[in-house]
Amino acid sequence: MPRPTLISSFALSVLLLILTLQPAVAETKYQRTIENYTIPDVVLVNQSGAKVRFRELMQSNKPVIVDFIFGTCTTICPILSVSFANLQQKLGPDSRKVQLVSISIDPEHDSPKVMKEYLKRYRAKPGWDFLTGSRADIDKVMYAFNAYIPNKMSHFPLTLIRLNKEGNKWVRIFGLMGSSEFMDECRKVGIQ
Amino acid sequence: MKDTDRYRRFGGLAVALLFGTFFSLFTVVPGSFGETAKPALSNQERLHLGEQMYREGLLPSGEPMRAYVKGDLPVPGTAFTCVSCHLRSGLGSVEGGVFTPPTNGDKLFQPFQLLFKGLEQKYFPLPPRRPAYNDETLAEVIRSGATPTGKALNDVMPRYLLDDGDMALLIYYLKELSAHYSPGVTTTALHFATVITDEVSPEDRNAMLAPLELYISIKNNQAKAYKTQGNRSRQMAENMLVSKELATRNLTLSRWVLKGPPDTWRKQLEDYNRKEPVFALLGGISYGDWKPIHDFSEQNHIPCLFPMTNLPVISETDWYTLYPSKGYYQEGETAARYLHAGGALPKGASVVQIVRDSPEGRALAAGFRQTWLDSGHPAPKTVTLKAGQAINGNVLRQAVTKKKPRVIMVWDGGEAVPALQAFAASGSRPALLFVSARYLGKNLWTLPDQIRPFTYITYPYTFSLNVTYSSMGSATLQDDQQKTLSQANILIKNKAQEMASLGDTLTQILTMALMDLKGNYYRDNLLDVIGMIADQPSSVFGRLSFGPGQRYASKGCNIVKLTKGLTPELVKQSDWVIH
Repeated sequence: MPRPTLISSFALSVLLLILTLQPAVAETKYQRTIENYTIPDVVLVNQSGAKVRFRELMQSNKPVIVDFIFGTCTTICPILSVSFANLQQKLGPDSRKVQLVSISIDPEHDSPKVMKEYLKRYRAKPGWDFLTGSRADIDKVMYAFNAYIPNKMSHFPLTLIRLNKEGNKWVRIFGLMGSSEFMDECRKVGIQ
Repeated sequence: MKDTDRYRRFGGLAVALLFGTFFSLFTVVPGSFGETAKPALSNQERLHLGEQMYREGLLPSGEPMRAYVKGDLPVPGTAFTCVSCHLRSGLGSVEGGVFTPPTNGDKLFQPFQLLFKGLEQKYFPLPPRRPAYNDETLAEVIRSGATPTGKALNDVMPRYLLDDGDMALLIYYLKELSAHYSPGVTTTALHFATVITDEVSPEDRNAMLAPLELYISIKNNQAKAYKTQGNRSRQMAENMLVSKELATRNLTLSRWVLKGPPDTWRKQLEDYNRKEPVFALLGGISYGDWKPIHDFSEQNHIPCLFPMTNLPVISETDWYTLYPSKGYYQEGETAARYLHAGGALPKGASVVQIVRDSPEGRALAAGFRQTWLDSGHPAPKTVTLKAGQAINGNVLRQAVTKKKPRVIMVWDGGEAVPALQAFAASGSRPALLFVSARYLGKNLWTLPDQIRPFTYITYPYTFSLNVTYSSMGSATLQDDQQKTLSQANILIKNKAQEMASLGDTLTQILTMALMDLKGNYYRDNLLDVIGMIADQPSSVFGRLSFGPGQRYASKGCNIVKLTKGLTPELVKQSDWVIH
């Protein structure tokens, strides 16, 4: 193993300096594209510890919205989750009308217990599931949605809204949306 | 409370001057003459209430703070606390391209510098420069997002709806937050210690300390070389490092050896800490329960990184000790997870734990029991083997005959192995038998042939023969894909090698963390930056992962079976069990 020394940190610092020469203010506008995805046939676990056939869930009769989060995430996940919570709030008693799915990108830590507590913090209602699984299965899901990251700490904000029941056509939103922007996107696919 | 500190102080003075001693009793709430006076809050109470707002998003009234993010998303403060982005130390974070600037006392009230050649530039992406905040401009930016330069903060920063009194409490807290370097930090050195209990063998002790001490001696030699006049390498180091002073700062590592019974350790630790306060504890070894040392760290707010213990304190909220794993508890947890997920168990089938009354046995049983209950099953029955009580076929057969369990856990050490033969007879055979590889030790390889087909072994170590080490940065970790493992191929052969490997990993983490501190030597910041470190490979556990507030780096365990014969292999029964 090459032993890390302060010398080797210089290389990193040089890289950092090069990177900082680029304009580096966080992008506030989001990017919206239409993508084709193939849903993997894997079995994941939800916040109640129940097994979920992922493909079946993605091909549900209800509209489906997906994001990638983890239980101890700092900045991005709370914003994504507040959007989900807000949508459920607006749906009122019909929260089950839309299937919201948060997929853990930290399956090592996100046990059903952790996920249940997370959802409670955002006052999630029925219709919002948080899924975890084996690392191999979670990797398959991330690859399928072109969302693979080798490490949870290098993640990015992503929201996926399903366009057809077969689950192969999706709106891909890269970046963080405000509430009205998110609602606009939902309306575009018929979620009122 | 409605008034700022200043107003209260001067208002109080004026009222006291005007109305004399009697009325001065009421000056805690200026202008309150004729109203019911509120008792003044002590500084400690103000800090506590401010901390509650910062960490939990709760107002002094107990109600959640109210806020908006992204312009129009209403959020309760409990879902969007200050601490979730600015972290416990207030030094902020960078995640997913969003930069969260520092909000600690030391940084807020001085200009935010971004000098490229003047070395202060430490952040990416680059945050905007700004002048020093004062109470008014800080209150404004928290409420509206408008900075003193007239710019708006990124709209992921919530805008908090706080009245003057609550705002004053929050600002009071921020002024105190990471305002002074933690103990153990001097202008020339960072002091660390390692805690070792006196029963630990010299082999284990040296194995753990070797990588740490080597790193420290290299670092200190480098610092020494840099101190020579006009040293050009130092100039380069200072220009490149995100914390200039790290180039010439020395590290020290004391050995805090604890002698005698555990109930005397606390006093010994307090004495050591009084004589030579440390910034953090590194590694450390005890063969017994880590709790006395854990409690010392927790109550004195001293981080303890990677103590080499299989008997950690299991807590979801404690902050200061970061363990390599949950040890024995994690194996018990894994048995419950595997059994629950397998679904092979008929509803209501009885589970019996035969538990040695030892720290190891109790930890295994506790991990199983808690996880089993959390999964919605009835409590397992427990048969306790008193310390010194020999385990034999009769004890085991009795347990089986009386309780008729389908599943039996035998949480006992290597001496239990011959007795397990009792389960070979068809009449007393459980459907599933669980044992702990770590507790059985080398005797694992001598399990009776007849019971191997239905014996499930919790095995907390990696099967992977090729653990790739990353150097400094993050790397994609290979999963532990090997399905079988023979005794000869086990990567780590004994306890000392395990200590050496974990000591090596600790050194790796420490190296990264010291740089990530960026010169902000606050103990909470040390744990905050480690929470942001990418997953690390480990030749003991395969993958170690971190995260804000996560305190057990290895999260799972294998469930394996042993093949028959004299040269058996361990065969994985599933993926790495994490749920």
